[in-house]
Amino acid sequence: MADGGTMFFSVNGLSKHFGGIHAVENLSFTLERGEILGLIGPNGSGKTTTINMVTGALRPTGGTIVVEGSDMAHSPAHLFARRGVARTFQVPRLFRRMTVLENLIVPALSDYAERRSTAEERARGVLQFLKLGHLANQYARALSGGQQKLLELGRALMLKPRLLLLDEPFAGVHPRLLEEIIDHIKSLNRDGHTIVLVDHNLEAIQSVVTRVMVMARGQKIADGNVAEVLQNPDVVRAYTGTRTSH
Amino acid sequence: MLHLSFTRWSQAVLLIVALLLPLGMGPYWIHVGAIAWYYALLAASWALLAGYAGQFSFAHVAFAALGGYASALCAGQLGFSLPVAIITAILLAAVIGALIGALVLRLSGPYLALFTLAISEIFRLMLVAEEDVTRGMLGLPVPGLFTGKSDIPYYYLGLALVVLALVAMNGLLATRVGLFLRAIREDEGAARASGVDTTRYKILVFVVTSVIAAIAGIYYGHFIGILTPNIAILPEMGLVIAMAVIGGIESLPGAVIGAVVVFLLSETLRSYGEWRFVLMGLALILVQRFAQNGLFPVLESLGRRRQERRAAIPSVGGPSNG
Ligand SMILES: Nc1ncnc2c1ncn2[C@@H]1O[C@H](COP(=O)(O)OP(=O)(O)OP(=O)(O)O)[C@@H](O)[C@H]1O
Ligand SMILES: [Mg+2]
Repeated sequence: MADGGTMFFSVNGLSKHFGGIHAVENLSFTLERGEILGLIGPNGSGKTTTINMVTGALRPTGGTIVVEGSDMAHSPAHLFARRGVARTFQVPRLFRRMTVLENLIVPALSDYAERRSTAEERARGVLQFLKLGHLANQYARALSGGQQKLLELGRALMLKPRLLLLDEPFAGVHPRLLEEIIDHIKSLNRDGHTIVLVDHNLEAIQSVVTRVMVMARGQKIADGNVAEVLQNPDVVRAYTGTRTSH
Repeated sequence: MLHLSFTRWSQAVLLIVALLLPLGMGPYWIHVGAIAWYYALLAASWALLAGYAGQFSFAHVAFAALGGYASALCAGQLGFSLPVAIITAILLAAVIGALIGALVLRLSGPYLALFTLAISEIFRLMLVAEEDVTRGMLGLPVPGLFTGKSDIPYYYLGLALVVLALVAMNGLLATRVGLFLRAIREDEGAARASGVDTTRYKILVFVVTSVIAAIAGIYYGHFIGILTPNIAILPEMGLVIAMAVIGGIESLPGAVIGAVVVFLLSETLRSYGEWRFVLMGLALILVQRFAQNGLFPVLESLGRRRQERRAAIPSVGGPSNG
């Protein structure tokens, strides 16, 4: 590919097997720059495993992950992060005995070209955006569940991400904060961030995305316009009889 | 601005006391003090490895043994000059430290502890078994560093090594590496997802702390004049851990103070025989129960509170991270 084109991220034939469990099977999809994709599916359908693979946290059993023209399927996680593929975790994984500010500075300083003063300045900017400025010097473990989700989002933003993968940012969040997080995601997307949004809260997802991809038992069963996909009989079948959070 | 924090003050005062102490002490306590510096080096470097970076290695005293034996053998059997022997031993510890660091990359918590414990025991048993080289339990004679009978030069050498090690380690921790090590301790996966090359920093911290442990062992060997494999027995590792934990496992100067206090205490209580270990265990339990971060941070916060009470006008420019 001579130019970056619009298709800057693509996954082809991606699989992950845990022993006999086919957590993800032959998954392919592409993302255009600036796009926001909802990824849904019943519990255990392979959403988190997919995020783990496309951020280098898990080595795929097979398939390719192409980021701006180079296959990164066998790259370590920190290189994905350095390339701007950032993620949050389904259950927040903060640096608990470090301050909120320090949590944000770590990803910034992982780029050796960035100076500490610049990192701190950017961190304060992110805290202001997330309305967490007053907590800058608190230990991360002192934060409420919702605040922890916000801080994790902030930590991902400090990587100046080209692709942001959010694993259930709405789960267990107080309704008031839910609105806030939705607004943050919308505004990030408006600013040109490419986002993959995993959640069980279909209502919240619909308010943010136009395209949604559905997984069931490790496989992609639908991909397209939200309204159409949710009418899709395969999707309805995958969801009926399956417990979901919302 | 001359606004030194309590930590700085207390460290400066303690350093002056340590410098003047030999003037008022007999040879026995100077000897004890010189050994205390050996433990201080081990406890402080272990505090960096375990307290800061979260790598609970049990191989630390084995690195002291490695350094001590390597330097002794190079200077003795191999006929190297002392400086060359010492440098060779340090380089060897760096290489083995990197190797162990790489081997335990995927291990954490109890697995790391067990693995390093096994490595340490294997190494100690090798020292016992390879009598032709190490003279086993008979002990390996080690040439001294200074002429004369006095322990005072060793006391000051030990003190200098402790100060240098603290300066070097604090220097490292003041860079972004300090932040990365804490992030790795808190959550390695999250650190990786934040772009931190965790492999590199874990190996780095093993190399740095192994080298300091080896320097401690080199110092100890040349000072005492004889080395036995008992330098690396498990109770020695336990003692180092107790020192670091009692002093404050996340504070390097705290670990130094813990080492000195615990070692002096154990010498003072020598007449109680094995009972002193019971007392030590009790102290450890009490610290764990009532001051989880060790005694040093407690002293520090007491000092800070007194300072704050004295300061009539609050200082401008936010909290200092002294
Ligand atoms: N490390 C692992 N070892 C073994 N099996 C795993 C592992 N991680 C995930 N699995 C299995 O892979 C399948 C997919 O799990 P995954 O966490 O990706 O689902 P998910 O779509 O994120 O579900 P949820 O909505 O509950 O978060 C499940 O059957 C799960 O039990
Ligand atoms: Mg999941």
